Amino acid sequence: MVKRSKKASSMRKLIRAIWIFNWFNSCGFAELVPLVGSRWDMERFGMIIVGTPRHADVLFIAGYQTFKSIKRAQRVYEQMAEPRVVIALGSCTMSGGMYWDSYNTIKRLKDYLPITMYIPGCPPRPEAVFEACEKIFQHVKELE
Amino acid sequence: MVSRESGLLDEIKSNFKIDGRVQRERRIYISIEKQDLIELCKWIKKRGYIHLSAMSVTDWLDKGKNEITYHVWSYEDKILITIKTKIDRSYLKIKSVSSIWHENAQIHERELFEMFGIKFEGNQDLTPLFLEDWSGPPPFRKDFNWREYVTSEFYSRENERELAYYD
Amino acid sequence: MIEEMRHEAVESEYDLYFGPAHPGSGNFGVKLKVDGERIVSARADPGYLHRGFEKLMEYRTPIQNAVLSDRLCVLESLNWNLIHAEAVDALMGIDIPERAKYIRVIMAELSRIQSHIIWYGVFSKGIGFDTGFKMAFGYRDYILDLFELITGGRVYPAGYICPGGVRRDFPKDSTEKILKVLNKMDKMIELAKIENPTLKARTKDVGILKRKDAIRLGATGPVLRASGMKTDVRRDDPYSIYDRFDFNIPVRQEGDSYARYLIGIMEMIESKKIIEQALKELPNGEVIDNSLKKLKISSNIPEGEVYVRNEIARGEAAMYMVSNGTGTPYRVKIRGPDFLHMIPVLEYLLKETQIADVPSIYWSLNICPADMDR
Repeated sequence: MVKRSKKASSMRKLIRAIWIFNWFNSCGFAELVPLVGSRWDMERFGMIIVGTPRHADVLFIAGYQTFKSIKRAQRVYEQMAEPRVVIALGSCTMSGGMYWDSYNTIKRLKDYLPITMYIPGCPPRPEAVFEACEKIFQHVKELE
Repeated sequence: MVSRESGLLDEIKSNFKIDGRVQRERRIYISIEKQDLIELCKWIKKRGYIHLSAMSVTDWLDKGKNEITYHVWSYEDKILITIKTKIDRSYLKIKSVSSIWHENAQIHERELFEMFGIKFEGNQDLTPLFLEDWSGPPPFRKDFNWREYVTSEFYSRENERELAYYD
Repeated sequence: MIEEMRHEAVESEYDLYFGPAHPGSGNFGVKLKVDGERIVSARADPGYLHRGFEKLMEYRTPIQNAVLSDRLCVLESLNWNLIHAEAVDALMGIDIPERAKYIRVIMAELSRIQSHIIWYGVFSKGIGFDTGFKMAFGYRDYILDLFELITGGRVYPAGYICPGGVRRDFPKDSTEKILKVLNKMDKMIELAKIENPTLKARTKDVGILKRKDAIRLGATGPVLRASGMKTDVRRDDPYSIYDRFDFNIPVRQEGDSYARYLIGIMEMIESKKIIEQALKELPNGEVIDNSLKKLKISSNIPEGEVYVRNEIARGEAAMYMVSNGTGTPYRVKIRGPDFLHMIPVLEYLLKETQIADVPSIYWSLNICPADMDR
């Protein structure tokens, strides 16, 4: 019997299916909702979208965030139960991007939330999202 | 080619004191003084110009004036008239047109109050629309330089990835 | 005593926030005052996506603005590209080549079809018709593959329609590929026209907007056409080369959600007609004006002002550009159709309805919060 830490053993239970809560601002909607459709079907990997943060394991944040909307995203993050993972999509989310000189967008997401994985792109392709999830599975398998 | 538009412009000139020109077909530009504005708007709405397409403010910093523009369209005449009027930058108050074009004008004036700081007298509701807890100057004015504000608030020269933002 | 208790129960109003994290709404919140199941009043709460777009454009040259302008509303990026390009063309006095004019119309109409497909899919999901959602997003991917072949990006075309024409020419045999994709759209429109009884029951006589109220509140586009007014900016105030094509304007008289839904489907058929006519008449030649071929970053815009009006998928969109002779515009005002649809029209329609009708009214107005907040 391999001895694992408490966090590793609870994360290994995550690996069978991932339930996602999405917090999409503008760009995320047009490029990532097709992930649910029939061409890039994400249900074959076990991922579904749930309607409340209490059921979710993963929080997807996509699109540029403003001060008004990041406050709500922090509230949503606090309502999720352990173990939880945050994934940031798009370059405007991570570092200001094209709106670097706007007075109302946030410039560094890691000052507000603890992020596990960054997916760059403007906007990222659906294949990039699947590769990121594969990396999470790999990371969890190697945790001890 | 622009006979309809010139005819309309002459008709307005005979009733009010304006400066006007016809730019091309379906576009007329009129400049008028602040005190005659409401009379002209009431006359134009009765003439059939019932759709207020947009309202905007241009901040001429070196001339010391703000210029408010109203763009109105008529579904029967099929002509767009732009009415422009100037107010002084030190006294930013003007009568509202929400009694003429109702909710359409009211929401445009609410946004312009928040972004430029112009008070529209007679508008029922001038509460903030987009911004929450903003305590700085009205953001769209020409003397508020965004690049200086952003480089002093959010970025720092110590971080070598952000050096490019400091021109 | 029972009378007292009943009186107290009836008199209790409470506040409900129908907000951005709800699966049935966009990035937009509505504060509802509710009494039991009946909504007494509604107040819109915008601002989740405000970035100050109009002033961002004052710091960038026209070539940089062409890339920024497709991020105004992500669901119809080529149409907003076209508005900005027309404004700069008018200020600079450029006459673009004939082939570029036809290519611009073809790309704008493809973008309109793609936007209406999203409307159909999201509307069906909002009222519980899940098959429509999956089918719509499946068919939309054919058009996105076309965009990637011609412009290079699935969602953001990187300023393809730029001042002076278009960035690059169609690749070889794109005409056949476009016609193939349009045949597939035929199948999707056939399936969408089937009269589903659930859809009808949830949308008929819900959210009725009469013609006088629609004009007073500033509604344009499909919302106004569903209330009985026969108007379209492509017919009344023609821009680009729309006066050379032959298409109908669908109008309905009832003004409820079902009428708006039907107009969306009929407009897809009209857009298909325009694309087929344009592909037949497509001439040969250059696609970009010679003075802007080398993409000079620092050329001055002559002094002047211009007001450009277009018909995008959601309604009437306009841009007012003022220039004072330098390399960047002095002031840009963007008028989006959703600024009026989401604040005055929605507050008016949500009075005296039930909570269960809110998604049906909300999604039938075809909203895009990015367009409203800018």
